[in-house]
Amino acid sequence: MNRLLLQPDEELLASLKRGDERALGMLYKLHFPMILHFILSNSGTEQEAKDIYQEAIIILYENVQRDDFELTCKIKTYIYSVCRRQWLKKLAEKSRYVGKVEDFESFVPFVKEDAEIEEKDIQFKVMRQAMEKLGEPCRTILEDFFIHDFTMQQITDKMGYTNADNAKNQKYKCLMRLKKIFFSGYQNE
Amino acid sequence: MNTMNEYEWIERYAAGQLSEEERSIFEQKLRDNPQLAAELSTHQVLMDSLKLYGNRSQLKKKLDVFHQEMAKDTTSQGRRLNKYSVQVFWKRHLPTMAVAASVAVITVIGTLFTMDYLRSLENRQISFYKELKRELNSIKVTQRNIASAVPEIQPEVRPVSYSATGFMVASNGYVVTNYHVINGADSVFIESRMDELCRYKVKEVYSDKLSDISILKITDPDFTSTVRVSYGFKIKEADLGEPVYTLGFPREDMVFGEGSISSKTGFEGDTTAYQISIPVNPGNSGGPLLDEKGNLIGMITGKNTAVEGAAFAIKSKYLLSLIDSIPVDSLPEPVLLSGKNYVKDLKRPEQIKQLQSLIFNVKVYHQK
Repeated sequence: MNRLLLQPDEELLASLKRGDERALGMLYKLHFPMILHFILSNSGTEQEAKDIYQEAIIILYENVQRDDFELTCKIKTYIYSVCRRQWLKKLAEKSRYVGKVEDFESFVPFVKEDAEIEEKDIQFKVMRQAMEKLGEPCRTILEDFFIHDFTMQQITDKMGYTNADNAKNQKYKCLMRLKKIFFSGYQNE
Repeated sequence: MNTMNEYEWIERYAAGQLSEEERSIFEQKLRDNPQLAAELSTHQVLMDSLKLYGNRSQLKKKLDVFHQEMAKDTTSQGRRLNKYSVQVFWKRHLPTMAVAASVAVITVIGTLFTMDYLRSLENRQISFYKELKRELNSIKVTQRNIASAVPEIQPEVRPVSYSATGFMVASNGYVVTNYHVINGADSVFIESRMDELCRYKVKEVYSDKLSDISILKITDPDFTSTVRVSYGFKIKEADLGEPVYTLGFPREDMVFGEGSISSKTGFEGDTTAYQISIPVNPGNSGGPLLDEKGNLIGMITGKNTAVEGAAFAIKSKYLLSLIDSIPVDSLPEPVLLSGKNYVKDLKRPEQIKQLQSLIFNVKVYHQK
C-alpha cells in the first residue's frame, strides 16, 4: 500500500491504463480529502464532494484509457482542476456561484477537453435515464449483452427463454425501444 | 427495410464480426443506401453511449466501494481527512472567532482602562488640590474695552491679575495671606470697604513657600495704625466638629462662610492643616478661619475640587510659629501681635462687624 503511495505519476497512470483496480483505489483514496476540503469550503456538502470527485476520477480513468491522452500536469492537479471546473458548473446551475471560489491547490484550465467532457456527460446522463425508462427485462438483457458481454445463449438461459432466437428477437425489440428513447432524450439535450 | 435481420447486419458490422466477404457486400450496400448509412451511424452513437454508460456505471460501483473502504479506514485516511477538516473548521469559524477574540480583547483592555481610570480618580480625589486665588480675566477684558473705547486716554491702569483675601495680624500694619497669592507679583494692594474704600500698598516682607504663608507690610505713608486687632489667636488644636467660620473676598464684597472642622489633617494628611467643611471659592485664599469665640484657628489655603465641601486651612499654630521665626533684623519693625480677644463675648454678627475692618481684599498685579 505504502509503496503504491510513493509511485510516481507515470507508473500510476500506466497501472490505471492496465485497469489495475488497486491503483485506482489508491488514487481514489489519496485525493478525496483534498476535494472534500475544497467543496466544503465552497458551500458544498460531503455528498456533493463525493459526486464531483467520482466524476473527476471517471473522467481521468476514461481519458487514461485513450492512447492519445497525455497528462501535462500532476495527477493531483488534474483531479483538482476537473473538480474545480465541475463544481463551478454545479454552483452556476444552483445559482450559488458568487464569482469566486476558494482555492487550495494550483490548477490548470481545461479548454480543449471541455466540450468533450460535456458531450460525454450528456451521453451518459441521457443513456442512464433511457435505461431507467426502458424497464425490465429489456434493461437486463441489453446490459448483459452489450455491457457484460454475455452470449445470446447465456442470456437465453438466464432469462428463461425457450430458445436463442426468441431471446434475440426480444433483444432486438429492446434495442429499438432504447434507441427511440435515447435519441429523443439526446436531441432534447 | 428496418428489419431485425438488417439490424443484425448493422450490429455485426459495427462490432466487426462480419467476414471479409460479408463486409464488402455490406459496405457496397452502405454506399448505395444512405438511409442504411445513417442507421449505422446512429447505431454507433447508441453503442458508444451504451458502452460509456456501462463503463461508468461499473466504475462508479468500484469507486463507491473505495469510498466505503475509506470511510471505514479511520486510521490513515482519517488523519488526512482530519487535517483538512481542521482547515475547514478554521476557515468557517475564523471570522466568528476573530470577532469573539476582539470583543474579549476590548473588554479586557476596557476593564483595565476603567480600573485604571477609577484608580486615578481615587488619586485625584487627593491630588485635586486647588488654590483659591481668583483670576480676574473679566476685569482685564473690561478695562481693555474701556481703554479702547477712549483712545485719547492712555491705559495707565494695569489690570489686576489675582484677587484673594488677607487679614491683619498686627496693628502696626502686618497682614498675612497665602504665598501662592502674591507669588510672582510685581505689586500688591489691599482694599477694605468699610465706610469708605481704603486702599493700601503692601510689601511682601516674609514668605514661606512650604507652608504657603506670606507676611505683608503696609507701606503706604497714609496708613495710621488706628485699627485694633480684636480677635484672639488659638494655638491649641481645634476639635473635630467644632463650628468655624471665615470671611473672604470670593467676589468684590465680603462673603461669610460657615462650617466645621472635618478633619485634623489637611491635604494628603498634612498635619499642619485642617480639613474644613466651608463653602469656599477662588478668592477665599488667605482668609481667616475663626472659631465661635472669634479666635483665629487657621487660614484658608485651598480646596479639593474632586470632593464636595473639602476645604483646607493652615493651622494658626504654624502661622504664629512662622511669624515668630522671622529674623527681627529682616523686618522694618517688630510684629506686634495682640494677645487679647475683644470679641469673644459678642454674637456672631457683632463679631463680624468688629472683624471686617481687619480683613482685606488682596489685589495682585503682575507685570506682563
